[in-house]
Amino acid sequence: MKRLYKNFSALLALALVFVGYNTFAQATPKGDLSIAINYFVDNNTVPSLLVRVKTKANGRFQPVEGVTVNLFLDKDSAGTAIGRVTTNRKGEASIFIPVSVKKQWATSVKHTFLATFKGDKKYEEGKADLTVARAKIVLTTADKTITATVLELKDTTWTPVKGVELKIAIKRLGGDLPVNETPTFTTDSTGQASADFKRLGMPGGKSGNLILIAKVEDNELYGNLSVEKTVNWGIKFTPVNTFNNRTLFATRDKAPIWLQLISYSILFAVWGVLVFLVFNLIKIRKIGGQV
Amino acid sequence: MENSITDEKIIADLLPQKFGKAGKIWVGVLTVICLIGLFAYYRQLRYGLIVTAMRDYVSWGIYISNFVFFVAISLVGSLITAIFRLAGVKWGAPLTRIAEIIAVAAIIFASLIIIVDMGSPERFYYLFTHGRIQSPIIWDVIVITTYFFISILLLYYPLLPDIKILLRFKQKSGNGLHKFYNYIGSFWQGTPAQFKLSEKAINILCITIIPVAFTIHTVTSWLFATTYRPGWDSTNFGAYFIAGAFLVGAGAVVVAMYVFRKAYHLEKYITESHFEKMGRVVVLLSLLYLYFNMNEFLTPFFKMKKSEEGYLNGLFSGDFSVVFWFAILIGIIIPVIILLFRQGRKPLPMFIVGIMVIVGAWFKRYLIVTPTLLNPFLPMHDVPASYHHYFPSWEEWAITMGSLAGTLLIITILARIFPIIPIQETLTEQHEKAI
Amino acid sequence: MENNSRRDFLLTGLITAGLVSGCTPKTDPFEAGASDVALPSGKKVKLLSVDGEEIEVDEAFLKPVPHMPPVSNTEARIGIPGKKFVMVIDLSRCKNLKKCQSACNHAHELNPGENWIKVDPMQDAEHTAPYWEPTTCMHCDEPPCVKVCPVDATFKRQDGIVLIDSDRCIGCRFCMAACPYSTRVFNWGEPEIAPAIASQPYSCETSVPQKKGTVGKCDFCADMTRMGELPHCVSACPNGVFAFGDINQDSVSNGAETFRFSDLIKDKGGYRLMEDLGTKPSVYYLPPVSRNFPFESGLENDKEQNK
Repeated sequence: MKRLYKNFSALLALALVFVGYNTFAQATPKGDLSIAINYFVDNNTVPSLLVRVKTKANGRFQPVEGVTVNLFLDKDSAGTAIGRVTTNRKGEASIFIPVSVKKQWATSVKHTFLATFKGDKKYEEGKADLTVARAKIVLTTADKTITATVLELKDTTWTPVKGVELKIAIKRLGGDLPVNETPTFTTDSTGQASADFKRLGMPGGKSGNLILIAKVEDNELYGNLSVEKTVNWGIKFTPVNTFNNRTLFATRDKAPIWLQLISYSILFAVWGVLVFLVFNLIKIRKIGGQV
Repeated sequence: MENSITDEKIIADLLPQKFGKAGKIWVGVLTVICLIGLFAYYRQLRYGLIVTAMRDYVSWGIYISNFVFFVAISLVGSLITAIFRLAGVKWGAPLTRIAEIIAVAAIIFASLIIIVDMGSPERFYYLFTHGRIQSPIIWDVIVITTYFFISILLLYYPLLPDIKILLRFKQKSGNGLHKFYNYIGSFWQGTPAQFKLSEKAINILCITIIPVAFTIHTVTSWLFATTYRPGWDSTNFGAYFIAGAFLVGAGAVVVAMYVFRKAYHLEKYITESHFEKMGRVVVLLSLLYLYFNMNEFLTPFFKMKKSEEGYLNGLFSGDFSVVFWFAILIGIIIPVIILLFRQGRKPLPMFIVGIMVIVGAWFKRYLIVTPTLLNPFLPMHDVPASYHHYFPSWEEWAITMGSLAGTLLIITILARIFPIIPIQETLTEQHEKAI
Repeated sequence: MENNSRRDFLLTGLITAGLVSGCTPKTDPFEAGASDVALPSGKKVKLLSVDGEEIEVDEAFLKPVPHMPPVSNTEARIGIPGKKFVMVIDLSRCKNLKKCQSACNHAHELNPGENWIKVDPMQDAEHTAPYWEPTTCMHCDEPPCVKVCPVDATFKRQDGIVLIDSDRCIGCRFCMAACPYSTRVFNWGEPEIAPAIASQPYSCETSVPQKKGTVGKCDFCADMTRMGELPHCVSACPNGVFAFGDINQDSVSNGAETFRFSDLIKDKGGYRLMEDLGTKPSVYYLPPVSRNFPFESGLENDKEQNK
């Protein structure tokens, strides 16, 4: 009897688990994440990684917020951990390469970055990797001509690379303005690409300075590289700041003088009369008191 | 001796009277309407302006119409009291208190209704702590406060001699009211020095109130005319509003005259001749208002600018045409026709004309606010369908009706407390006549 | 907190100067790239350089900045010095996709049914061709809405942006009546927003969270522009209809392409809406010539909201 009961309850439990699993799986099928790693080096200084996490929903990819990803250099081990990041609302997370992986970094000129996601209630586990070689851009200017040289680190020497596509532009708010009509340039056998500066008369602030930028974007071998250089090729331009003018649309402390003069004089005149009339009442009151 | 008997009679006729049965019902009904309005306002405070039918396009509705209406009515105080007095119109004297009471009541509710219209009324005091002198709203706040204060003074000064008389009838007024009279006017002894000061003050007030009254309604019109919107972008607006205000104010006085005359049996004091003369005033004001209406509508109609096309067609032949022609006919043209006849200037037809003028004027204010907002420069698009129309919600009606009832309530209470016809002035006039 | 992490993961242009010379950069507001100039915070971070060296970088020169101090109300009211933001809307590229609208609504946590960006089907006359016209706040240089505000709740900044301070707005709606572009919306009831967002500290630059009884409108994404990034509508549009930039830098960008502003306006005949009113908008339109899409392609998408 007891045994039968035991068996029965085990069966029941099994059935429950099975049913529960089924219903759970039906209600929320786990989503697949698409993880991408991007590698950035700006001005040939510190490298950084940007992780983008997306998922396919309603037929198109949408960023996923709050996904925690572990990043490693070359191999998934404690000694090569770059760090752990969590995506923001745009499905992005970023991190610099920490000093702790200095040793591993020195072992090679080419590295593979690994990103792993363990999986959670909503999404299946996922991973991604990216292999990049170390490269840099050298930007030189002479007589309104800009030359960018792309160099790759081979063993211990920086050697020019041919056939790298790059942009040469003036740094501006929200986007970079190409220095001439050509949208992109490709490096020749000396690793060089030259562009003529055609944007004459660009406003360059008080001193006429413009910041030139050369960048390699989403390159399969080198990732994203960019380098900047300040040149004095703009025109001196000081915008007229009318912010402190007295206008009808300025703040209350900047009301036009004429308006204040007229309105306050009318106000004081009328209220002067009214105050006088109140005093008049007090006078009448006093006379009443005396009688 | 004969004189003194008449004096006693006059005083007895004109003393404030306790509410009769009708009076009590009247006050009760008004109070109930006010309470319904208060409940609606409570809902509005709790849920926000979402309870109204106003939305992003029609962002101002009947609250603002009502505000303009109240400001318009309040102008009558300056007309009957100040303009008549300065122009030496003697027959207007018995009507001055009625006019002042209406003015005070209306201006109180004008300022209340503007707070009701605010989305964040708890920040009302920002108008004083963060006020920008560049904004016409601040001009309106200043001028309404000023006008309210002047109206109170203009009500109070001429009351002083009457309060001295009222104080003699402790029995009739009862303890509480007697104390109140005592508090506000016991110092008035009627000495020549006091009369002289008071006379001077009233003269100064009458001169001051006219420009302030013109300003209050002109500034109110500028709330619209300082924008680019079709139908509001008009240089005619100040004068147009003032003409309309005088008309509706005069209409309100006529109605009040009739009601008080009936209720308090004042036939001897508010005579048919008063109606006859007020009738002529109303005709004059109606024609003046008609003139400004023609200025306001004929020239834009002639040009039919693209931006104003929808607005004008809406008024003349579209969605708003029924209300528009109703307001023009009932509010202006038919009153003129009625009042051109001598029979039309008798009390009862005058009363009806007064009601027509007021109702017409209220709808006219509605037409000033809403059709313009439904005809923006860029098409109404990418908004829920309900944003394309406006019909006030029950909360808006309740609050608006509540404010109208509140105004009537204040008028009623003031008429209960103070003599509706200045007693002392009537006595003086009688004595002058006797001599 | 969201905003800080949204910024690009880049080192600023000044990092070279700051690292190499070690000098304190002077903040000249009219200097090119001034928006990227940050004062050193004194807090150093140790990082690995591309050469494998250990280097110390001042936190202030890093993007994203670990903890950017929130912009104070005073700062938000003054705006960024030396900038004058401008937008160009290319009508020949618009097919009423409304991506701009949904991105804007999402970023500003707008109420359902409320839109700061509207895409109007326009037809100027009987025999002229219809086109789609997205409208944002025009950020006028002589803003009629700011003129009439009684309490300084809406204001014009030195960088040209017109903002609303929902902590000041009394809800009189005079600005809505004054705006000829009908761009302003009102929070008639309690806004429907998630508790996490409702509890965020309010800033006039983010315009989040919306508040009951106050006016709202397009803010040119003042928080994004402060970080040197494009407004949400600009980056959301797949057809590059919107271009945003700084007129003092003479450039606008739609994310993918960057144009010289003066050339763009000259070559394509740019204009502003209702020039005759004298409001001087900061938003320019390029006429719907040589269109990328027929007008009809946008009709399907218009049915949803405008039945």
